[in-house]
Amino acid sequence: MLKRLIPISLALALLQVTLRFKDDADLARRLRAREPSAMRDLYDRYGKMIYSVIMRIVRDSGAAEDLVQETFLRIWNRIQAFDQERGALGPWVLAVARNRAIDYLRSTDGRMSAGALELERLEHPGQFCHIDERALSMDRSRRLQDAFDKLTPQQKTVVELAYYEGLSQSEMAERLQQPLGTVKTWIRSALKVLREQLSEAAIV
Amino acid sequence: MTCGELRDSYELYSLGILEGEEKREIEAHLGRNCADCQKYLNEALAVNSLVLSHTPGVVPPSRLRRRVMASVGVERTGWTWLAALAAACALIVAMWLSVGKRTADRELAEARRTLQQSVAERDRLEQAFNFLNQPETRQVNFGLDKPAPPRGNFFLNPRLGVLLVASNLPVLQRGKAYEMWVIPKGGTPRPAGLFQAGPQGTAMHILNGAVDANVTLAVTVEPDSGSQSPTSNILFSAGF
Repeated sequence: MLKRLIPISLALALLQVTLRFKDDADLARRLRAREPSAMRDLYDRYGKMIYSVIMRIVRDSGAAEDLVQETFLRIWNRIQAFDQERGALGPWVLAVARNRAIDYLRSTDGRMSAGALELERLEHPGQFCHIDERALSMDRSRRLQDAFDKLTPQQKTVVELAYYEGLSQSEMAERLQQPLGTVKTWIRSALKVLREQLSEAAIV
Repeated sequence: MTCGELRDSYELYSLGILEGEEKREIEAHLGRNCADCQKYLNEALAVNSLVLSHTPGVVPPSRLRRRVMASVGVERTGWTWLAALAAACALIVAMWLSVGKRTADRELAEARRTLQQSVAERDRLEQAFNFLNQPETRQVNFGLDKPAPPRGNFFLNPRLGVLLVASNLPVLQRGKAYEMWVIPKGGTPRPAGLFQAGPQGTAMHILNGAVDANVTLAVTVEPDSGSQSPTSNILFSAGF
């Protein structure tokens, strides 16, 4: 019975992810038109995901709330530069949320403060113009979970440090007290596993 | 390095954590509009977003939605106890006066709108007072040495952000807005939010989020959709 329930619950969760991204182009168009209801829909669609990503990074609810507000303000103020015909709203929103939190994390521990402008550049809406609209599809999401399951504990650790702590490879090596070459092998092989699993999704 | 040799570095590059020679190589390839590298970058951005979308869910507090909506000027959909109480009073008064349903509805809607604006403004003021009460907040004024320019104060708190209070702001053409900029030492200006002045030429603008303690803050006039870099002369500025 339990074995039957797990795939059904996973499928439902993944279906929600797919539906969430389905009409992003229309939502982006309404945001560009400054429709107040669009901002409410944006929050309802991505608010929990943004809060979750930011909380995972900063681990402080007060700071997380400030950063969620900053993220939505940034989307609202920069939406005119977003091309809803070609852009992928979800990936952009997630990148802004993650970068705001990483920037905060770096500023609080005094590390790589000069990287703030680089994060700004990397999250420019123009960067998200040619991403496949199925980037966050149900199929890719399921395959990513399969790929995660294939990673070794060391690979999972460096992925965590890259995405949720914003550590460079040399910073990871220092944190883990491992040779830089070893850390490079771990992170690159981990990303290769993820990428190849997703490439298979595109072929199938 | 060839495009293929850089293939495994694009996720790290787009996360802003790639260093040294590989980073410079990728920037050089992208600068040459290398099609393969652009494709790799797009795929990396997609992988990154998918990984982030798998973050275990945490439910945000309900007040956060109201706060976000208020910060972008979208009217509140939620009811505060104050708004609910006042709207109920307004309803009773309207019925007692028996001025007809349409008139009562109109007055009630107006009262509700006024209350919502007042509550949003109160929230902004509370945020500003909280900002000013922090011991690490520093202040720099601008415009005091000039005959009749914009004048006021920037308050900078490295942890919370920037608070700008300004007066004597000129009336802007339709489609224009004021935009604040944070300029790091030796760096390029980065956008810090749009704002409009009130009818008396006064404005208060808050930039939330950590800010470097040694920056210059500036304001220019931009299209009301905002700009990525200043397109007009600096109206006023101050350095910390």
